[in-house]
Parts: sequence; C-alpha cells; structure tokens
Amino acid sequence: MMRALFAVAALLPTVLLLPAPAGAATSDPTAPDPTALINGAMQQWRGASSYTEVTMTVHRPDWERRLEVQAWTRGDDDSLVRFTAPPKDAGNATLMLGGSTWVFNPKINQVIQLPAGMMSQSWMGSDFSYDDLAKSTSLLTDYTHKLLSDEPADGHRVYTIEALPKADAPVVWGKQTVKVRDDRVLLQETFYDQDMKPVRELDTTRVAPLGGRVYPVEMTMKPLDQPNRWTRIVYTVGRFDLKLPDYLFTHSNLRNPRPWKLPPGTTP
Amino acid sequence: MILRLAWRNLWRQPRRTILSLLSIAFAMGVMVWLLGLQQGVYGQMESNFMRIVQGYAQIQPRGYADDPDIDKTVPRPGALARRIGTLGLTASPRGSGYAILSSGTRSRGAMLLGVVPAAEARLSAIPTAVHEGRYLRDDDGAAIVIGKSLADNLHVQVGQPLTLLSTAKDGSVAADVLTVVGVFATGIGEIDRQFAELPLSRFQATFALGGDASLIAIGGPSLKAVDRRLPALRKLARAAGLDAQAWYELEPGLQQAIHLDASISVFWYATLLLVVVFIILNALLMAVLERTREFGMVLALGARHGLLGRVVWLELVLLVAMSAALGMSGGSAVVLWQAGHGFALPGGDALFRNRGLSGKMYPALNAFSLLTGPAAIGTSVMLSGLFPYLRIRRLEPVSAMRAV
Repeated sequence: MMRALFAVAALLPTVLLLPAPAGAATSDPTAPDPTALINGAMQQWRGASSYTEVTMTVHRPDWERRLEVQAWTRGDDDSLVRFTAPPKDAGNATLMLGGSTWVFNPKINQVIQLPAGMMSQSWMGSDFSYDDLAKSTSLLTDYTHKLLSDEPADGHRVYTIEALPKADAPVVWGKQTVKVRDDRVLLQETFYDQDMKPVRELDTTRVAPLGGRVYPVEMTMKPLDQPNRWTRIVYTVGRFDLKLPDYLFTHSNLRNPRPWKLPPGTTP
Repeated sequence: MILRLAWRNLWRQPRRTILSLLSIAFAMGVMVWLLGLQQGVYGQMESNFMRIVQGYAQIQPRGYADDPDIDKTVPRPGALARRIGTLGLTASPRGSGYAILSSGTRSRGAMLLGVVPAAEARLSAIPTAVHEGRYLRDDDGAAIVIGKSLADNLHVQVGQPLTLLSTAKDGSVAADVLTVVGVFATGIGEIDRQFAELPLSRFQATFALGGDASLIAIGGPSLKAVDRRLPALRKLARAAGLDAQAWYELEPGLQQAIHLDASISVFWYATLLLVVVFIILNALLMAVLERTREFGMVLALGARHGLLGRVVWLELVLLVAMSAALGMSGGSAVVLWQAGHGFALPGGDALFRNRGLSGKMYPALNAFSLLTGPAAIGTSVMLSGLFPYLRIRRLEPVSAMRAV
C-alpha cells in the first residue's frame, strides 16, 4: 500500500533505474522475475514525476467523508499532497522531502515536522498512514520476492508474489502478498502482521486508462479487523513524466501555494 | 490433666522453653513484618500509580481498551458522572487522544487528556505535581499543562505557545494553538514524557467531540473502596452501553509485575520457613532425647505410650501458641508503627519513585499478612512434632531408663 498510497497520492517518483522489464507487458511463459514484476507495477504507478487529482472517500460506521486532493511527485522521495475540498479541509498539505515529512494546517497557519514515531499514524484521518505515503520503494528494497502463482484472469495473467522483509529492514509488516497483472497493474496488496495474520488489504476495484497508461484508477484500503471501515481513492486526473518546477517541493510552497497549472498536453 | 502435665513439663526447663519460644516467636514476627511490608508496598504501588492519571477505575466506550480511537465516545458524560457520584465515588469526564505537539521546529507525539480541572484535583496526582507555572483552572481556554520531559524535548516553557495537530472525531484535521500554563513532574518517566492536559471544553471543540467525552476516570476514598463498587459500576456502564474497567484491567502490566514479585517471594518465604522449622525441630528433638530416662520411668510406672506422646505433643502446641501470641503481637506492633511512620530503604528512592512510590515504604497489616506466616510456621512445627511423638511410641521402659 505504500505504493498504493503512493499511488494514492500519486507520488510516483522517478523511475528506479532498474531496467524496466518489458516482460511486464509480455506474457512470458517461463517464470517471470517477481522483483521485476513489482518494479514494473511501481513504475506504472508513478513515473519519473507525476501530477494527479484524487478523490478520497473515508468511510466509518457513523459517517463518510469525501475529500479532494492534488498531488505532485518527483523521484522516489519527494511529494506534495494538498487537499482542495471540502472547505473544512482545504489547504491542509503534506510535504515529503528526502526522508522527512512536514504538515501544513491553514487554521493555525503553521508548518509542523512530523516526528519519526508518528509515521505510522493515520494520514488525514484515512486508513492510509504517513508511512504509506513515504515508503514508496520499501516493497522493492526492503523485501525479498517470491512468485507464488501465475493464473489467467479476464484475458490477462495475474501473478501473486510473496514479499518477506529482509532481516534488518525497518518495516512493521510480517510479510506482504502482492497481485500484479501482466500489463503492470497492481491488483491487490495484503499486509500481514508479525504473526502472519492479514491485517489490511488494498484492492484495485477499477482499472482504466489514465494519462496514457493502464492504471488502477480506483483502489480501496481496508483494515481487516475493523468492519465497516475503509478508504477509497479514485484518480480523476493523472499526468506522468512531466517537468515539474522545483519550487513545488519547498516549505514556502507548502505554506503559501504558488499558482501552478497543468501544462497543456494530452487530456488526462 | 494432660494439659496441666504438659504445661508443667514446659516450665520444668524454663531456659530451654524460653529459648524455643523466642526463636519461634521471632521467626513468626519476621514473617508478619515481611508480608506486611510486601502487602503495603503492593497496595501503595497500585493506588499511587493509578492515582497519577488513570484513576482507580474507568468507564469507557465498548472496545475502547483494545482500540482507543477518537471516534469512540461516552455520550452525556455529565449525567453519568452524577450517577457515579451517588455511589460515593468521584468521576471526571475526559477526552483522550494522541496528537503531535509542536513548538518551533521541534515536535513530539503526546497523549492528550481533556479534563475538568476541578474534578481532576479530586482523583489525579497531576494537579499537585505541577512544579512550574500552575495547573489548569476551570475558566481556562487555550491552555495546556505538559510533562516535564515533554517540555524539555520540545524546548518549551511556561507562557510559550504550543501547536497541536491530530485527527478529529469527524475525520477532519484537529489543530489548535495553546499556551503552556504549567509543567508537571510525577517522577514516572513515561507520564512526564508523554502526557499533556488541556481543558475538556477545548478538547471537545478541537476534536469535534460535541458534548461527548472519551472516558470517565473514577476515584474514591481508596482503591479498595472503588474495587468494592465495581459491580455497581459495571451495571451502570452496561446500562449505558459502555464498559467499566477495574485498575487491573487498565494496567494489567502492573498487576502482572505484582504477581511476579509475589510468586518469587514465595520461594524466599519457603526457604525461611524451612530453615526455621529445622532449627526448631532440632531443639525439640534434643529436648525429647534428653528426657528419654524420664519417659522410661513414666512408662514403667504404668503410663500408656499414647498418653505420654499426647503430653509431649501438647507441650509443643502450647509452645507454638505462646510463640504465636508473642510473635504476632511483636510483628504487628512494628508493622503498625511503620505504617504510620514509613520505612525508608537506603538507596531505594529513585527505584520506588519510578513506580509511583514515595521514598518510604508503608507496611500494611491485614488478616493475610498477620496470619499467613505464623500459620505456616505453627503448622510445620506441629507436624514436625509428630516425629518425637512417634519416637516415644516406640520406647521400651527398661532400655529407656538405662539410656544416658
């Protein structure tokens, strides 16, 4: 989900320098490399840079809220996410630079650096955590990958990959399982706790073209131990590999947004 | 007649009897004191620790203990607090939530409590632990008191602003700027490092709680008094669709630590008991052997073995009874005196402080601490007295009379 988040926030950073296995798109009958599959999905998701607009629905037993978000990402680590609606939340923003996270709240008009210990807290009241936003490449770099199965579905092949954390990796999960489609679309990510019990799940519920690529445009994050709680993100606009000005990823832009317009180009 | 015989036998050798009596009495007295000390310290740990923030019990939303989420709340806490008051307990509605506190470029995660200052003063130690500035007042607005280590970590002082950031009950961002009016130091690291309190009304507004509270902390004349009213509290809570939590449910770790300590000390007591019993048994056996000629004579005069054995065993019972009277009164006198004055263990100060204790220990006298030690020693001594008894039953009058 981090990716998810990522995706969510669409913070997708630069493509890792890994050679994109074209294999992602091909259906090579010999067993594909699981790490390459995950890397392919990540690249599909982010890009060297990205701009996305997302609608986030947070559902709770007693209420449901719809938030609108703009997100910019650059490389693996830098991202800016700003809420644009509803009015109560508009202007709240999160900036991630390198490994650090800052939060801006318009009501108190202050930028606050998030303490490292708070990264696992809920992000803006959703089922995503700040970690989900930040650890874009964790699934690739902190885990070892094993292909569990390879099944046909809806005219595609779906690969199920098990990711086990490396011995010294700073991760909270016991393991993850990831489903990736042969056209590099992430279909599902399941998070297990240290007792190997599944605790939450990110599901792709709709795949559609976005910004010139096949994209998981609707995803739902669900804690598995709490019924009737979930957060759904829907991508409404997505542009990838575009040139973003450096001022976007600064504290001053976090606090006082400078006007920025989507450069003309193909429609999202 | 047996009784009179036994009594007289005891005092035919006053020095031996008094020595045995004193050693048994001393062992019993020590046991009374040790158990009293242990019970007292446990009681102190429980009530002092719970008194700092948790309260002696709490009423919480269902499932709050497992997952203390800001969206689980106690509706109309005022009405419930008044009903708890009719049980003779004090109740303090609180908001409770995790937040980021930030000052300048520094920020820390903290446990925030929204409190009613007047009610807190009756059940929490924090109002009296404020050592810089002051505690909250009922007319405070944007005010906050924070633990000393938290203040140090944030580099914030009394009079300075502090920013709060969290998630409100409705999922929106909870943000506020408060002024630090006081810094408290309870001596408990975890609390001084993590806790901060602000007025409940402010907490409710910031966290979109409306008139709800997160929980109700409960105090009373003593932890035991609150424990006794637990059934009533649980009933009250159930009727409102809530849960009542006893102190040991709020702090299972504390209870486990106490249980662990108690089970370890059982070994110490068992060792002490064994040593004492062997010493006493040795003395008794010597006493019986010493009197072999005398027993032979009595048997030769026609006394039955059973009668003689019973007399000797009764001597032992009398000895134990006298020792118990002496040991228990001596031990409890010391315990009672120290319960009033406290007992300081050199070097234990910091250790105790971190467990919510003052530097002094106050032993407690109750039926358990008074009776357990003497009962164990008395029973063991009387059982081991069967040994001389059996020996007497096997005595031959003639050879016994010849024994040296």
